[in-house]
Amino acid sequence: MRHTDTGDAAAPLLAASDLVKTYGGTEALRGASLDLRAGETVAVTGASGSGKSTLLHCLAGMVRPDSGTVRYAGERLEEAPERRLSELRRTDFGMVFQFGQLIPELTALDNVALPLMLGGSGRTEARERAGTWMERFGVWGQRELRPGQMSGGQAQRTALARALVTGPAVVFADEPTGALDSLASERVMTVLTQTVRESGTAVLLVTHDALVAAYADREVALRDGVTAPAGVGV
Amino acid sequence: MNGLRADTRLAWQLLRGAGRREWWRIALTAAGAALATGLAQAAVTLLLLRGSYGIPHAHGLLDQPGTRAGIVVGLLLSFVPVLGFLGQCARVGAVHRDRRLAGLRLAGAALWQVRRIAALETGIACLLGSVVMTCCAAVAVLLTWSAPTGAAWAGLALVAVAVPVAGAGAGALALRRVVASPLGRVRRVAPRSGRTYPAALLVVTVTALLVVTATGGGTGGRVRWQGPAVVCALVLAAGVGAVWLSGTVSRLTGRLLAARARTAATLIAAERLRADPWAAARTHAALLLVTVTGTAFLCVRHALLAGLAAADRPVADPAYYTAGLELTGAALLVALFLALSALAVAGAESLGARRRTLAAQVASGVPRAVLNRALLLETALPLAPALPAAGAGGLAAGAWYSALTGAGSLPWTALLIAPAVYASCLLASAATLPLLNRGVRPGELRYA
Amino acid sequence: MSTRHILLGLLASGPSHGYDLKRRHDERFPQARPLAYGQVYTTLQRLVRDGLAEVDGTGSDGGPERTAYRTTEAGARELARWAAEVAPPAPYVTNEIFTKVVVSALADGDPAAYLRDQRAAHLARMRELTAVKTAPGADLATVLSADYALNHLDADLRWMTTTAARLTTLTAEVDAT
Repeated sequence: MRHTDTGDAAAPLLAASDLVKTYGGTEALRGASLDLRAGETVAVTGASGSGKSTLLHCLAGMVRPDSGTVRYAGERLEEAPERRLSELRRTDFGMVFQFGQLIPELTALDNVALPLMLGGSGRTEARERAGTWMERFGVWGQRELRPGQMSGGQAQRTALARALVTGPAVVFADEPTGALDSLASERVMTVLTQTVRESGTAVLLVTHDALVAAYADREVALRDGVTAPAGVGV
Repeated sequence: MNGLRADTRLAWQLLRGAGRREWWRIALTAAGAALATGLAQAAVTLLLLRGSYGIPHAHGLLDQPGTRAGIVVGLLLSFVPVLGFLGQCARVGAVHRDRRLAGLRLAGAALWQVRRIAALETGIACLLGSVVMTCCAAVAVLLTWSAPTGAAWAGLALVAVAVPVAGAGAGALALRRVVASPLGRVRRVAPRSGRTYPAALLVVTVTALLVVTATGGGTGGRVRWQGPAVVCALVLAAGVGAVWLSGTVSRLTGRLLAARARTAATLIAAERLRADPWAAARTHAALLLVTVTGTAFLCVRHALLAGLAAADRPVADPAYYTAGLELTGAALLVALFLALSALAVAGAESLGARRRTLAAQVASGVPRAVLNRALLLETALPLAPALPAAGAGGLAAGAWYSALTGAGSLPWTALLIAPAVYASCLLASAATLPLLNRGVRPGELRYA
Repeated sequence: MSTRHILLGLLASGPSHGYDLKRRHDERFPQARPLAYGQVYTTLQRLVRDGLAEVDGTGSDGGPERTAYRTTEAGARELARWAAEVAPPAPYVTNEIFTKVVVSALADGDPAAYLRDQRAAHLARMRELTAVKTAPGADLATVLSADYALNHLDADLRWMTTTAARLTTLTAEVDAT
């Protein structure tokens, strides 16, 4: 587990305030704020086009906001250099998207082992550790398959294993069950919540589905690029 | 006829509404078509000449039927890299086009309609290139030829029409698998085998040989065709062997390295080679062929020049002989340039098709340096054994010719061809890297 | 909801007495309203009257006297018939949330504010149910009943989201009538 100690238990691990982001004349975010404490799962909900994904991209250091601040463990992400952001995403953050994050040419096991190899682990060691995570997520039997040969649910659970294999402090999940049916979606969410509860990993979950949002500890609703207090999502 | 007009209009509308990527494809296809038109028109014009002329160009090489036939063969052989380049251009935006055509099928278009629209799309681009080149050719003919014959004009016109028609046909052929299903083959592009390219090579070489013998025979059968035929056969064998070698080497290195890779970049490159070895072979075929021919050419040139210097009586016009050699050299350089362009186009296309996956890798913190390295390794790994093999093949052909003419020595420069081509391949690959850095944005993660 | 058929179903696994039936019902249907003890006895007596169940015997086990019941052949047939019968899809909207929104709009209230609070309450309940469902060792009946409730709450929530977006037009239309 890789938790950055901020020295203050009450301080949020990740905090965004008054984020504004404009894409070619469209205001994706118009003052969004969000706190994420260590180990908690927060669901970001809202209609399509409300800026959910942009908020996640800003928080994960993938996109720089036009104004506003993002702090991770006291570090200002909006002004950190690209190299540092890339390093953070490799070591402290885990990423799960709707689909497409697995490299189609690699086997499931190599896909999960990749972040460890990037972190400097040897191939054998990386594959061993990746294997234990795949077992935990119920995809050990699919380890030698390539992403195209797996079902959507298996691919997403493999993606979760890849996101969690480095022991991140925060997992960012953008519609992780968007392409799955209800049972596959339930299985992905159950294994995710159980795992992060055990490891104390915080999760930022972007979803438009209330059934998925219900796995979170609390909800932050976005409407037209502005965050509303809990419940004011409609 | 009415249907054809409607389809043409639809194809034109699709072209007009196309994105930047599509315009790239059209521009590159048009450029390739222009080159093909130019080569074919030059060849046809020279073929139509009968007997001796006094043409004040190329040091009199065009005056006699024998040497003229040689130049025609050279022009026709230059078709090989041009075809390779065109084939690569047709693949730009293939995934997008696949989606669009599948959409047409879903909207109720019949199979043959979609095929025709796809063929027309390519045909229009080829027509563009062909028209531009034909205008240039017409001007050139008027400037250099005091009284062009009707046959020459007819030949030019024939080529101008044939190139877009052939382009449209090739477009339909290339998309035969794509349009078969209304749901498209959007998600996964299955590996193709590398049979088409050697087949095209064979056709071109056989045509070239037939042309030589046919036109040579017209002057009384005094052209010694055995020599050129053997050289052509050797080049062909080396070329086909090189393509096969490249595909096999790609597959083997991929399989071996995938199991043993220690670093992420090697692993990604190896697995990509293993997944589709013929993609690499297709791009590398023309390069290997240029290496074989280039190496052999330097040996032949060396032997010829040595023969000239050692001649008992001084040659009246040495430029007459050297001009032919320089022309061949220039043609080879153009071929190399085209092959390298095709390599760069293939690299850019592969980056475009994988945008989403690459964006996801960057988002998960995979350093761009690792992705850059993987991309370069994908070119470097399979060429590392294939290029020296191609060089050796060319050297063998050159040594044989040298032994035949009794020159006895080989130029050391011939050894440099393979490493030089290797270096330029890496440079061409590296030229696509800025696209990786520019094209990979989080926005790519949003849509399917 | 038919208490008769639930009791017949519980009796199908073997004879049992009233208190035992109530306990098993509350275990099996944790999300349902608990059965009243008196209701169990009245229902059992009606089942006996209709010939669907019969008294199996009485015993005391040292405590108060208890009557055990068992199902009859007619009872098994009735249970099978009921279980296979298609339930009519609810034809009328009698939901309190819907009524409140319409009445609130009629009475110039603030339906939007009500919807916000209701949505928060719904989501809180959905989180509880999800926690119950995903708790390690949750049995099938618990998972099924939580799923059932979750999907109904989700349907309510979707309706509330759409309604909130429509509210201005809805208010105007209700005012016009």
